Amino acid sequence: MEIGKLQRRYLDFTSTLFHEGFLDNQFTQLQQLQDESSPEFVLEVVTLFFEDSEKLLDELSRTLDQQAVDFKKVDAHVHQLKGSSASIGAQRVKNVCVAFRNFCEEMNQEGCLRCLRQVRNEYFLVKNKLETLFALEQQIVAAGGSVPMMW
Amino acid sequence: MGTGFANSKIESERVSDKFPVGMKILLVDDDVTCLTVVKRMLLICQYDVTVCAEATSALSLLRENKSAFDLIISDVHMPDMDGFRLLELVGLEMDLPVIMMSSDTRFDVVMKGVSHGACDFLSKPVRMEELQNIWQHVVRRKWFENKEIERSGSVEESEHNRHIIDDSEYTSTVNDGPDSSWKYQKKKRDSKEDDDTELDSVDPTSSKKPRVVWSVELHQQFVNAVNQLGIDKAVPKRILELMNVPGLTRENVASHLQKFRLYLKRLSGVAQQQNSFSNTLCGASSNAKLGQLGRLDFQTMAVSGQISPQTLAALQDELLGRPSRSLTMPSMNQPVVQQALVQGNSCVSFERGITFGQPLLKGQELSSFPVWSSNNLGVVGSSNNLGGLDASQNSNMLMAMLPLPQPQPHSRTISSESNHAINVQPSCLVAPTKPSDNFQVAVNPMLNHDSVAVPTQSSGSYQAGNAIAPMTQDSVVVPQSSTSMKMEKNDVKNLRSTILPSQSYTSISLGNNPGLVNYGSVTIPCQQANKSQSDKTFLMNHNSLVVPSQSSSTLKTQRDVLVNHNSTRNKDSTHFNYIRLPTKSNVVTSSMAQILDGDFHNLATAGYLAPETNTSDILLSTGSNTSWQLASSKGIIGQSNVHDFCNVQATDTMSVILSDKGEGKNLGFVGKGTCLPSRFAVDDIESPTNELTNGITYTGDDAYFLNQDVYGALQSGPCATTSYK
Repeated sequence: MEIGKLQRRYLDFTSTLFHEGFLDNQFTQLQQLQDESSPEFVLEVVTLFFEDSEKLLDELSRTLDQQAVDFKKVDAHVHQLKGSSASIGAQRVKNVCVAFRNFCEEMNQEGCLRCLRQVRNEYFLVKNKLETLFALEQQIVAAGGSVPMMW
Repeated sequence: MGTGFANSKIESERVSDKFPVGMKILLVDDDVTCLTVVKRMLLICQYDVTVCAEATSALSLLRENKSAFDLIISDVHMPDMDGFRLLELVGLEMDLPVIMMSSDTRFDVVMKGVSHGACDFLSKPVRMEELQNIWQHVVRRKWFENKEIERSGSVEESEHNRHIIDDSEYTSTVNDGPDSSWKYQKKKRDSKEDDDTELDSVDPTSSKKPRVVWSVELHQQFVNAVNQLGIDKAVPKRILELMNVPGLTRENVASHLQKFRLYLKRLSGVAQQQNSFSNTLCGASSNAKLGQLGRLDFQTMAVSGQISPQTLAALQDELLGRPSRSLTMPSMNQPVVQQALVQGNSCVSFERGITFGQPLLKGQELSSFPVWSSNNLGVVGSSNNLGGLDASQNSNMLMAMLPLPQPQPHSRTISSESNHAINVQPSCLVAPTKPSDNFQVAVNPMLNHDSVAVPTQSSGSYQAGNAIAPMTQDSVVVPQSSTSMKMEKNDVKNLRSTILPSQSYTSISLGNNPGLVNYGSVTIPCQQANKSQSDKTFLMNHNSLVVPSQSSSTLKTQRDVLVNHNSTRNKDSTHFNYIRLPTKSNVVTSSMAQILDGDFHNLATAGYLAPETNTSDILLSTGSNTSWQLASSKGIIGQSNVHDFCNVQATDTMSVILSDKGEGKNLGFVGKGTCLPSRFAVDDIESPTNELTNGITYTGDDAYFLNQDVYGALQSGPCATTSYK
């Protein structure tokens, strides 16, 4: 595909992600932090986010699976997930975390489990989207073009 | 800009002309994603960044070399150590500016940051714009430090720095998002700017400061020195000179002074509110009933019901309420005594560090008042209610002392002659004693720490309107033979005790004066008061109310209640307070009855012992959440039949401890988290260099410091033993 088309596709895709709330302005900030001195910055950060989140999700499953749930621990994990998702702009994930924390405070195991399912879903969705985004970027670069930015 | 700044740094050259370029930042966060993002942002701002994913390693890095960093940015929630804890330690040991960050920006969390001394609070996700101006915190601190140097003599430097500062903008971090510029941060800054003294008393590059324990005596010396110099002119260097205490450094004094000033400011805010209360006092047979203020945990026991409900309420409000005000109690339902003592002694630790220790008067000796110093009772920061609300954490100020009949301040002990032997350490206001017909201390100057001492020899009427008294910290002392002492609001609302020794005052109406509503104890010894109505005197909180009246025909101390916290905790609450109401005479009007008789028991759930002795050392402790009232009827302090008692709502369980009479000790407790033994002892309190509001108490460890400094200390010993004639 020619570069122009690739670039347009990229821009459309990005724009959709924002409209659908998968990403927010913080992601744009990250993109702005990337430059020649740190050309893979966004990819690095997002990769870190993926690793961290998956660990957290596993921990959460384990903790919520117990007989006597340690809600403080759950809350701590959710708080962490909230912070990291906010840092990269994964808005929907962050929003579920907010609701999740409320259930933790109420010590509502059922509610927590539901939120866990939800947050997992959102996480994998956004992961998928971001991977697609990066793939599109690579395609453009491979074709010899430069990745257009939204701002 | 930069040269002046650079000069004070060790590695000055490289920073000098390019500040804030190269400013060294230590970034601490367990979240790697966030760490990476913020680090990148800081690098783009051209700062020099070191990252740490663990608080403990950050701390050791800092300990190795304090001057390696200019500023620290730390997350709040970390697995190995709480961010606030780190904040505190850094403030204590290294005195570097710390910025907190969190995705949790609830009020109480941010407030906690403020109270622990953070210079700013960023909410995650952090934005670039917010980070661009963080250098101001470093500059500001340096500048104030230089200003301090200036005061010690080098004018040029500070002027230079001032010039630098003027050039820079004092705006808080810019952001369009919901965060970092916190109003109160700004206010805090503003107030700091207004405050003449330096903010940082320690050069960040200096070595670890030894902890200083501000004992009662030490604090007293401090206050004396400050008074001598005048509160506005008191600079650490001169204070230090005046105090002449070996081993004490200027930095110690400076940080103590800073707290003191903050405390004063806080008090004045409170006082102003107080002033708005009506001064009806005395005479007014207020019903002891204090409406239950939602927030108040305890109510002052109006001894004689003199306090009008409103005043009482107002007082209580003031005392208790005001979360922001601190000093007083924690917000509602919070047991006054929040945290029990650390050691299990009776210490009441409040959230706000209110502590008082009061010596109780011996029954027999009326003349002396217990002088108690209010110590902050363990004000433990952060807990309760409002995590962040504990506004005032420490600050207890010196205890108020009652002046002796003579104008001169006396030492704490009360001479047998006069009722009071309390030194008044007025920082602000001291009423001259003389046979004025009426002495009116309207707004008590002593809002702040000082005690309002109003010694009046024979004033016809002493009116301490609106709390003169130590609204906060200090005690209002109204000594002498005033015919009528009206301490209206004054009361030492706070920590302090109001002592109203009046030799022969006909009536002391501690109007609503909540006496000591907070922490202090109110003692109203009246020799032959015809009627001393201490209505509410006091001590609602922590302190004990001692109302000895020698021969008052009617001693209406109604409420002498001392509801204090100090005292050992029984199960979970602290209890104590004792009120000694030694009254020989018949006085004891019905209201007092109980107390005098000493057979009151505390309604608190904690249960209390009813004093057996007549002389009553009465300890009233307020039970938790129960309101108890001193029944006017015979010493039964119980829920029922309390007529015009103020309801004392004890927060937390308080148990009453009755001390036996023989003990000549005043129960004072020294706040400070560490227990207050029933006799009151002055605990040494370490005064953290942190701000007053720091209410964290740590046990053990270097970070330990009890709720706020304890100012004043209870005086142990024979203080306030009044001798009955």
